[in-house]
Order: sequence, then structure tokens, then C-alpha cells
Amino acid sequence: MTIGAMRDEWYPVGLRSKVDANGQQTLLMGEPIRLHESEGGEIVVETADGRRLPVVIGHGHVWTSLGQPDKPLFAIPEADQPGRRLVEVGVVRVRCSPLRAVENFLDIAHFPFVHTDILGAEPHTEVERYEVEIREHEDEVWATKVKFYQPQAAKSAAGGITTDYMYRVPAPTCSVLYKTCPARPGEWDVITLFVQPLTEELCDVWPWMALYDDVTPMTDLIHFQQMIFLQDRSILENQIPRRLPLDPGMEIPTRADLTSVAYRRWLKRHNYTYGAQLVAQ
Amino acid sequence: MKLYDYILSPSCYKVRLLAALLGIPLELRAVDFHPGGEHRTPALLALNPAGSIPILEDDDLRLTESAAMLVYLASLKSSDWLGRDTAAEAARTEQWLSFAQRLTASLGGARLCEMLLRPGDLAALQAAGIAALRELEAALVEQRLRGERFLVADRPTIADIACFPYVALAPDGSVSLDPYPSIRLWLRAVRALPGFIEMPGIHRLHELKPEPVHGAEGEPA
Amino acid sequence: MPSTDAAPLTPLALSEDLPPATVMPIWTPEGPMALWRSVGGTLSLAADRCPHRGMRLSHGFVRGEALSCIYHGWSYDQGGRCLRIPAHPDLEPPASIRVATGSVLEAGGVIWRARADDPSLPPDFPGFVPLRSLSFAVSRDVISRTLGGESAGPGILKGTLAGSAVILLCAEQAEGTSLIHLLAPADATLDQRIAVSRAAETLRRAAETGTTEAAA
Repeated sequence: MTIGAMRDEWYPVGLRSKVDANGQQTLLMGEPIRLHESEGGEIVVETADGRRLPVVIGHGHVWTSLGQPDKPLFAIPEADQPGRRLVEVGVVRVRCSPLRAVENFLDIAHFPFVHTDILGAEPHTEVERYEVEIREHEDEVWATKVKFYQPQAAKSAAGGITTDYMYRVPAPTCSVLYKTCPARPGEWDVITLFVQPLTEELCDVWPWMALYDDVTPMTDLIHFQQMIFLQDRSILENQIPRRLPLDPGMEIPTRADLTSVAYRRWLKRHNYTYGAQLVAQ
Repeated sequence: MKLYDYILSPSCYKVRLLAALLGIPLELRAVDFHPGGEHRTPALLALNPAGSIPILEDDDLRLTESAAMLVYLASLKSSDWLGRDTAAEAARTEQWLSFAQRLTASLGGARLCEMLLRPGDLAALQAAGIAALRELEAALVEQRLRGERFLVADRPTIADIACFPYVALAPDGSVSLDPYPSIRLWLRAVRALPGFIEMPGIHRLHELKPEPVHGAEGEPA
Repeated sequence: MPSTDAAPLTPLALSEDLPPATVMPIWTPEGPMALWRSVGGTLSLAADRCPHRGMRLSHGFVRGEALSCIYHGWSYDQGGRCLRIPAHPDLEPPASIRVATGSVLEAGGVIWRARADDPSLPPDFPGFVPLRSLSFAVSRDVISRTLGGESAGPGILKGTLAGSAVILLCAEQAEGTSLIHLLAPADATLDQRIAVSRAAETLRRAAETGTTEAAA
């Protein structure tokens, strides 16, 4: 399997705050790499044979690429607004395709069954029509006007509310979720899922958030998001096949899955196939 | 009663679970175990020099071993849960409380390697975990032959709560539970207890609730 | 053409391990399957994969007469047809949404994989009752050699454990492993049953470590 077009993308490989002079080892698309902080405070990422890889720091993480990215790391302008708390949720490893991890993040219909009594609950299972587009200028997948009834939408939410969402896929293994902010109506909380592809069937997931919430202790914010993601982990490790099928026929989407349909189409169009299964079996 | 807690820790969950089953309210103090490593900070080491969580405080009592916390909660509320009706039952309960430490070391260790990237010999931890699961399965087979659904009796005790979390979460460390039919039924029996609460990785038993009839319940106003 | 000698019935599980309203994973040569029993007691075998997103159905839940996927709650009837898509409560799922199913037979406390084109009945073991199932990390041949018993048909061994006559129903599993369904004498006492169960553990240790010491 060749890495294909995904080789030239940026990937998260560590929390900036955790990389020090001692360094750390990890894997990116099958290739062992090492990160460390130089004496001058610069982050260096190298392959096992000493090749220096490009590095950018953004959204709390260190990003690198095995190839040569021709564009900067995607921006999240909302996260730069003053008054937000930036939450480093930490890494979780999952035995699944990096693309499956992103697709699950884009899905709301599973909330009542997987995040029961938190992000969803029966009988409020219906997914109302929402809008999905591939924005050609930005070259990103967007889903807007997504609504779902949630018993406890956020750590700061006191009870059940109908929550508004927007989803954005700015890179093949990254997604940004904009969600009703319980503390500040009219603003969006920013919740992201950055996925580091270790191999086609193994990934490290780095959730990160930029929230308006001055009340909840930071640790509670971290734990809320870890709780949500770890509820998904046992799903992601039990999907067959492990890789994301991009050809129609292998899996059956419905209207609730329009974001997933657009994501798969966008991946295929760009030949973003690392972690994908192309031929229906 | 205050519990220094981590949402992803099966040992902390044991205490939360038994408290929920017994109806004992807990004040939870979240500890940033991952990624922050707060359990090894001076403030937490002052409470527990071993650097582990959970820590349970009640007035001047401070406990740092989850088995002791289970004994304490059950003693406060219900002697049924203590598993000490006879000399043999008391001994078997203690046997399982000690066995639970092997589950923590093996299945818990594999889980920390696989999920949170902690260092460790994954293959050795998984092999030790499988050996422990086989012992548990054999014991549960014998309990079923005796007509008892739980580890030391036909009622749940702290022995079940001590062993349940790391077993239920074995797949987090890539140890399959598929080969153990008696463990599967025992996990289900624990999950079906009134007042049961989940932790991430253990899903709700949706079958305990009837299927909703759409339209029978209105949308919230 | 239906064949009477090839592909005999395969033992899948013991009835007692699958009470009403439960589901269990089963490995078969055609792939992973979900074996489930409805609240009313009907047994069904379905491919262990929800066609929506590929989630294993054996992680799902049984409500009434349907098996539901834990991921999005899609539910299936005993024939594999999709009954309900919770994200679209008013939608009648198209008949084309279905999971593959298989035939099963239940007799003498054992659940067997049957073939729709084969009318044979599962073998009958008068005087024996199921005791437990256990997985061995070795092939059937190694178990047979270690037990030192005799073959009593395809995948069926007779021998002695802890002084009791036993029958082992063997099903080959993935990667050279085996699933054994152990039958003990119907008139065995509780102590004898426990002794047979423990002797099966000893047999497994011997088979897996390659020792030839008799397990009995």
C-alpha cells in the first residue's frame, strides 16, 4: 500500500506542552519518528535515519508530515477568540483506521446508543435534515444546521437541550465541531478530533477543545471529553472491516449519514486512501 | 465522603459503582491522571505516597486501596454485600479481592499500554490476563453448577464489584472476552443490577428498557 | 447438491449459555456470526456485521423478537430483515437492508449450525448432558491425542475425565484454536461435575504445553 496523496498532509504527533529535551518516539504512517525540543526551544521531528521533517505548532499540538505540505496548517479562527479555555485532552490509542475515527466523530445518530443519557437518549433518536456541502474554495467538508436533543450536552449543561452543531473536515484525519455553547448562547464551543495515523489500522487520537466555560475545573473538562471519546473506542475497535470502505455497496448510508457520504466522496476524490478499503469484498 | 477520582480508572469506578448500588452519595474530586499526571504531584503524594488513585476520605479516615474502600462502603450500608455470612464465604470473598489485584496488574496493565501508551510488556500482560480470565471462567462455571450467579453466592458481593471492571474492560487491552460464556453471563448479571452505573467502555444494557414507541412521548417543550 | 457426508453439523454453543434476550459471538469458517435468542426463546444466527457501518452485531442487544446494533440501534428480525432505523423513526426500512442469516438447530442442550439444504438431525448423546464450553489454543488433533480417547464421529471424541465418561464436541476455530463443548454423564453428582470441569482445565494445560501426561 502506498501512502498516496495523504503523505503531504500535516498530522498531529504530540502535545506541544509535553514535548521536552528528552524527546519521545512515535509512528507516522508506518514510519518511526522522534520528537524533541532543542536547546533553543525549537521542536525537531526526525525519522529513524535522521531525516528532518517539517514542523508546525498549532492548536496545542506538534504537527509534521512525511512529505512536503503545500499549504499551512488549517486555521481555527474561533479558537483564537479571547476568553476561551484551551483544553488538552491527551492521547488515546485506537485499533481502527484513522478515517473510521473521523467518520465516527461526524456522526450524531449513535448518541442515544453509545453516549446514553449524555449526548442522546431514546426516544429522541431522530436525525432531522441538515445541510452538507464540499466547499470548493476552502476544499473542506461542512455540515451545518445539525440539531440533536441531548440530555447533557456539555460539562456546563444543566439539563437536556436541543443542541446545534456544525461539522468541518479541513484535513483527511481532522475534524472540527462547532457546538451550542451552554454558557454563552450565540457563541460556538470548538471541539476537535485530530487523528495521527500510526498505520492504516491503528491511530492515536488527540482531542482538543476551545471552550467558553469559566466555571468548570479544567480536569472536569478533560474528563468529560475523555469519557465521550472512550465510549466510542469500543465501537471503533469492532467495526468490520477495520478500514473505511470508500466504494458504495459495502455499507448502507441513510439521510442521517450525509456528512459521512460527503466525507467519503471527498476522500476518494483526493485519493486520500490511507486507511481506506477500496474494493468491495 | 470524598473520592479522588479518574473517569477512565477501573479502580476508581469500583468505588463509584458500589456507592451507586448502595445509594451512598460521593463527592467526586477529578484527578488529572492523563495527560496531566496529577496523581504524582506533591499535593496528591501527600495524600497517598504510593501515587495511585482512588483515594477515599471520610472524616479522619483516608483509604488508598480500592478493596478497603469496598469493605468500608459495604460495612456502612449492607452486610449482604460484604460476603461474610460463613467462614468459607468470608475467605472466598478475600480470595477474590486479592485476585482482583492480579486483574489490575495484568488486564489493567495491558489496557494502559494499549489505550494510554504507558510502557509495558504488552504480550506478557495479555498472557497473564488470559490466564486470570480462564481461572475466573472456571470458577464461574462451578458457581453456575451450584446454582449461584455471582462469585461467592447467589447474590452480588464486593468480590464481584472488585473483579467486574477490569474484566469488563479487558478488550480495551486487546484481550477478547469472546471465549468465556460464563464470564459473559456474569458481566450481564452485574450490569443488570438495580442502580448499576457505566463507565466508558461498558455500554448501557438497552434491552432493560422497552423499545420506545415513536410519537408516544412528545419532544421536550 | 446436498451432501450427506461432507460438512457435518457443527456444534456452536450450549443452550444454557444463551438465555432469552442475549446474543453471543460465534466463529464459523464463513466468518464471524452473532447467535442470539429472542425474549420468546427463538434462536437465530446472523452475520456478525451490521450492514450500516460494519459494527459487530454480537455487541448489540436483544429486545423482544429483534436484534439491535449497539452503534445506531438498527434492529433486525430473525430472518435478517431490518425492522427499524431509529434515526428515521417514520421510515419503513427498505427490504433490501438485511443481514445474512444461517440455520441453527437445538437438541439436547446443544446449539448446532445446520444447513438449509441438509435435513440431517444433530447427533444424540443419550445419558449425557452439557457441562461447559471452553476454548483451547491448539487444534482438535492435539486435544484428541492428549485426551487419549476414541473418535465417535466427525469432531466427536469420547474419553474419561476425573473418572467420568465424557464426550467432547470439537469445533475448529480461527488460527489453529478449538472450541470444545464438554458433555458429562447425566447422573453425575455436583461434585463429579465440578471434578470433570477441573479435569478439563488440566487437559487444556496438558494439550497446550505439549505434555502427554494423562489428564484423567
